Amino acid sequence: MKGVELKIAMKLKTLKNVINYISFPILILIIWEIVVRLKIVPLMILPSIESIADTFIDEATSGQLLADVTISLRRVMEGYLIAVVLGISFGVFMGISSRVNKFFSLVFDGIRQIPPMAWIPLLILWFGIGETSKVVIIVKSAFFPILLNTMSGIKNTPKDYIEVAMLHNITKFDLFRKVYFPAAIPSIFVGLRLGLGVSWTVVVAAELIAATSGIGYRISDARSLMRADLVIVGMIVIGAVGVLMDNALTNISKHMIRWQKA
Amino acid sequence: MSVGNKKDLVIKDLHKGFIVNNEEIDILTDINLNVAEGEFLSIVGHSGCGKSTLLKIIAGLVDYSVGMVTFGGGEIRKPGTDRGMVFQEHRLLPWLTVTENIDFGLYNITKEQKEAIIAEHIELVGLKGFENAYPHQLSGGMAQRAAMARALVNKPQVLLLDEPFGALDALTRIMMQKEILRIWKKEKMTMILVTHDIDEAIYLGDRVVVMSSRPGKIRKILPVELERPRDRSNVEFANIRKVIFSEFFADEKQYLDYAI
Repeated sequence: MKGVELKIAMKLKTLKNVINYISFPILILIIWEIVVRLKIVPLMILPSIESIADTFIDEATSGQLLADVTISLRRVMEGYLIAVVLGISFGVFMGISSRVNKFFSLVFDGIRQIPPMAWIPLLILWFGIGETSKVVIIVKSAFFPILLNTMSGIKNTPKDYIEVAMLHNITKFDLFRKVYFPAAIPSIFVGLRLGLGVSWTVVVAAELIAATSGIGYRISDARSLMRADLVIVGMIVIGAVGVLMDNALTNISKHMIRWQKA
Repeated sequence: MSVGNKKDLVIKDLHKGFIVNNEEIDILTDINLNVAEGEFLSIVGHSGCGKSTLLKIIAGLVDYSVGMVTFGGGEIRKPGTDRGMVFQEHRLLPWLTVTENIDFGLYNITKEQKEAIIAEHIELVGLKGFENAYPHQLSGGMAQRAAMARALVNKPQVLLLDEPFGALDALTRIMMQKEILRIWKKEKMTMILVTHDIDEAIYLGDRVVVMSSRPGKIRKILPVELERPRDRSNVEFANIRKVIFSEFFADEKQYLDYAI
């Protein structure tokens, strides 16, 4: 008898938890529907949930959504990968050698303090509103989280391991390959995740300002057409893609750090 | 003029100070010590800087400017594969397996030779079967064994042990003490072990160096002329223990009695 009672009690607890999680979102949706039904706010400003769903299906089936997202993703991938290569390389050298660190620090800090968006006008002057300016802004934005976290990871390599390495007279290359770099990988992945998130944010912002394609452009265009439903669909898609990319990266990082205790 | 091949460790008039907050703090003063080839030397003293610093100087990890430390006639200034060291933490690289960790410092030999040497040392420390385990999968004692295998794989002439069993539970500690003696007998190398456990020092060492700390100074060097394996409840053992004990706890001064 006790076993059955325990199972029922546990199931009730789970049910209570689930209800707790979803009650607020459902409440918001209910209020949303009421506001729309009672026409408290013009439909142009707050579209109905139904119209958003319809628009989403339209855009998805027409392939427009996919095309937009693909264009934005392509920009992100270009910029992000360049930022990854540059960020990790500089991060490693600046982490290992304080001389190299000091050499680059003033200029890098200067560039870093100026927000990405403030760079856009200059980049447009230099590269126009084509692909290059967007990729550059993504590189600039993603580079710094990756750089700083890589540097931090390298610098925080436990001195204990370095002492062991000194005892064994290992080569400089092995010191990097077997000690510094693996020790830095958790931090590097933090930087990679931040950099990816930032890239995605920045590409949308850049497209809002200076683009003729991509999901950010699509939202801006929708706004000018007074299509709040399309704007919201775009926002949801942007959020979803961001979450998916972050999850993918997290899974990769978990796999790479599988030597760490749970 | 060759100074001879004898691999004796000679420490003469060694002083070592560190600068902390713009003040010079003496860690070691007047260290004079000769360690014979093949000897097992225990150094006992409070946990803290002096003893470990002495070991690190011998290992070549810490520099010194006053005094002379030579091994086989050559000055010790840098680490070298003739001296290995095991620490209180096992310091195994968590992202490498046991085999890869032991392989860490092996260079200039063929793959087959590597595999043979690693297998030999895994067997030596009693870790057979755990070649592909990661450090987090090992118990404390096993991880220390792996650390020992790593330190021994380049066949050093001197093995330095800095409180190697301090992080282990008391039972494992006793087992590891027996293990290190077994390895010592087999490999016939010089071993210098630093510990804060008086019993451990007497059980393992041919001689026990009693050190005071702040600043680190050698107070006494006691020979332990007992046959191995040693019995910790033996009268002679207990007498030596009393003498060392009294070095640390002055109000209980005892003298070595010879009872017939």
